[in-house]
Amino acid sequence: MLRMSFRTFLERWQLFAGAVLSVAAGVALVQASFMVLVATGEPRIPEGLSRQEDDRIREGFVGAATVMGMTAFLAMFLAVFIVSSTFAFTVDQRRRDLALLRLTGGSRGQVRVLLLSESVLLGLVGSALGVPIGLGAKHAQTWLLVEIGLLPDWFAAPWRWQAVAVAGVIGVGVALTGVFAASLRAARIRPLEALRETGRAGRVMTTSRWLLGLSSAACTVAMVVWAHGANLIGAMLAALGISMVGAVAMSTLSPLVVPFTAWLLGLLLPGSLVVASLRDGVRRSAATASPLIVLVSLLLGLAGTFGSLAAAGGEEAKRSVNAQLVVTSTGARAERLPGIEGVAVASRQNAVDITITAGERRSVYSGIIAVDAADYARTHALVPTHGDLNALTGDTVFVGPAQHSEWIRAGEVLTAEAEGIPLSLTVVGGLPETLEPGENFVVPRRILPPPVWENAPTESVVQVETEQNPDVVAERIERAGIGEVSTVADWAEARAGRNQAGNMKILTVLMGLAGLYALMAVVNSVVIAGTERRREFAVFRVSGLSRPQVVRTAVAEATSVAVIGLVLGCAVAGAGLAGIGGSVRAAIGVTVVHVPWTLLAVVATGSLAVVAVTSGITALSATRQRPVSLIATKE
Amino acid sequence: MSFPAVELRQVTRFYGARNTGVAALDGVSLACPAGTWTAVMGPSGSGKSTLLHCAAGLEQVTTGRVVLAGRDITAAPDGVLTEMRRRTIGFVFQNFNLIGSLTAEQNVAFPLKLAGIRASRKDVRGVLGSVGLADRATHRPRELSGGQQQRVAIARAMISRPAVLFADEPTGALDSHSAKVVLELLRDMVRGAGQSIVMVTHDPAVAAGADAVVFLADGRIADRLDAPTTHQVADRLARLES
Repeated sequence: MLRMSFRTFLERWQLFAGAVLSVAAGVALVQASFMVLVATGEPRIPEGLSRQEDDRIREGFVGAATVMGMTAFLAMFLAVFIVSSTFAFTVDQRRRDLALLRLTGGSRGQVRVLLLSESVLLGLVGSALGVPIGLGAKHAQTWLLVEIGLLPDWFAAPWRWQAVAVAGVIGVGVALTGVFAASLRAARIRPLEALRETGRAGRVMTTSRWLLGLSSAACTVAMVVWAHGANLIGAMLAALGISMVGAVAMSTLSPLVVPFTAWLLGLLLPGSLVVASLRDGVRRSAATASPLIVLVSLLLGLAGTFGSLAAAGGEEAKRSVNAQLVVTSTGARAERLPGIEGVAVASRQNAVDITITAGERRSVYSGIIAVDAADYARTHALVPTHGDLNALTGDTVFVGPAQHSEWIRAGEVLTAEAEGIPLSLTVVGGLPETLEPGENFVVPRRILPPPVWENAPTESVVQVETEQNPDVVAERIERAGIGEVSTVADWAEARAGRNQAGNMKILTVLMGLAGLYALMAVVNSVVIAGTERRREFAVFRVSGLSRPQVVRTAVAEATSVAVIGLVLGCAVAGAGLAGIGGSVRAAIGVTVVHVPWTLLAVVATGSLAVVAVTSGITALSATRQRPVSLIATKE
Repeated sequence: MSFPAVELRQVTRFYGARNTGVAALDGVSLACPAGTWTAVMGPSGSGKSTLLHCAAGLEQVTTGRVVLAGRDITAAPDGVLTEMRRRTIGFVFQNFNLIGSLTAEQNVAFPLKLAGIRASRKDVRGVLGSVGLADRATHRPRELSGGQQQRVAIARAMISRPAVLFADEPTGALDSHSAKVVLELLRDMVRGAGQSIVMVTHDPAVAAGADAVVFLADGRIADRLDAPTTHQVADRLARLES
């Protein structure tokens, strides 16, 4: 059986090429991510860096590890998805061969073993190719992570022999998982099908396909509903889940949509061969549409989610302050703000360089602001979850939004250190979690020695007197040479933009990856479909179509299928956005949704072009032989 | 042998719903004794292929019983049918149905391999030699002519010495010389090895080589000829089709 698998593999390599490439890419990415991930786990940070710098590098390492983890996960998901859709398709293409195996005495178990041994071969070949590609991928990933600022430029991920074992296990595992469903399907092929001239295309919507499709759809809907009540981390995870599970649901149910589209197209082009081919090749259409569904739902879903969260963060920041202007300066200069004509309140927030340690937890060096509690309370709308800002006097501390999840209780005493002076701060309250990370701790300015806050970068939130024009007041502040002035709206937007930029970097890495995969899968299914249709194309030609007409028909059909894939993918992405929109509404009271139109346009044009060109080239090469020689051949 | 190689008892095969569907076979009873060659003829759509498929256990009958080599296979589970395809029955078809990725000798040895029996190279070569293809053992199907491919298919059916060989238009795609060679081989299987053949054909000359010809029309047995001649067969067929 193994020898037969091997021969099939060699003989019909075109059928497997796409699957091998996806396994190889999956293995390469998982292996590269693994090496980078291990290296970030044991960071060797040079001595003599400032505490903030040290902290920033450590944070970057955590961020890089997250990106690598997501990359490995996404790569495996996509590889399994592509291998399984490729094999589902090839089983259909090989129906007659498999039926013949059954006719000559092969049992169902033997058919399963045949396919599973093919998948082991696929996994081994894919892993063998993936290991060297993985070395290149490791360099590329490291370069990218350094480039987007998550890792310092001296970072290096050393080669590890364990990575080869990981690669092999992942390669074979991905291939086996992907082929398993197809092997069950293949075992159900009846021997009688070998005797039919063309091989009856099996029922496309099998019971298991219905089950998988409907349960994934139900799961997607459940996640959308759940996301409405979830916190933002939950909603983000839900958005990722919706993109993936929704894509599976739409792909499995796409055969239901294809005939409907064919009917729609039939209204425009009655009696057209394209419409008839679409209706007839439902499985072929589904195989082409599914990678596009995954591509669109992942790209638009992720971009939309990150974009919406950043936009919502900006909106929340705007709503959280009860003021008109924000001034950026040093702590010393900001002290002159209350003296400017027209300024009602100026809450100076100095980002001070001190250390706070809460019990056994890790010391915090950044995100600590020193304020005057009364001014802060008058200019900020964020209601504390516990405690009162008025209590923030003397040796006290307020827990900021970023430390909300650490469960630091009121009454707890934290140790702090400012310019070598030890302090003991009693927790008197805490602020709620916000979309943007926000501050770690808020301390009263009066307890700190002046040098600590005088040179600290300071953001002052300024409330203008009611009868004064904010623009005029802003001008006065600038003229006094205190610092840079912006309106609250501009300040919030800039903050959201900075946040978005960070996310976009991570997103670019993931999107490039998903795009690469989907491209391989689309090209793969278009090529398989086209090559296997040689005979059908020959029949078209002997029926009177010219070669260009056959090619045009094939391109038109493939393009219609691509449009179906794009529309269904958008539906999934839309579901993801509905989830995130609901969650944002629950968190800040308004629905903020960011639709990535530019990305949508790029993805749609790009994938339509790829599909049209690939199907055109395949149809051209499939019609190269004279039609009569194809129609006459028997084996 | 005491039991017929193939026996159909009041077999009916419906396609579609019971009251609106079509009966491809309608109360067919037929017994083919062991060591005989039976040809099945009839106009297109008369149910010839359905009869062959039901008799070989490839299709389930709606009512009635099918007994194959002494075993009732009417409701046999897949495992039993698979086992029978390995040891008891063989198939030869118009379109050869060889596995394209295997060589001639691998194709011949394949059914035994599936059954877990190690076929010696000598046996395989011997069988290929008996169909006149000793020198083509390592060729792939696409490197062989139609007649040669069909002979490989017959060699594959011969190696496990099946009690019954089912043939569907075995000479349909062959030139007249190749057809003659193939028919000779089939005759040898019946005469020499005592195997039985049930064959569907359109060609009166081919049917005349059989021991008996059964004529089907609208899913029923319309006529039967023993020790037929080409003329008699053509005559009856013409009468059925008119």
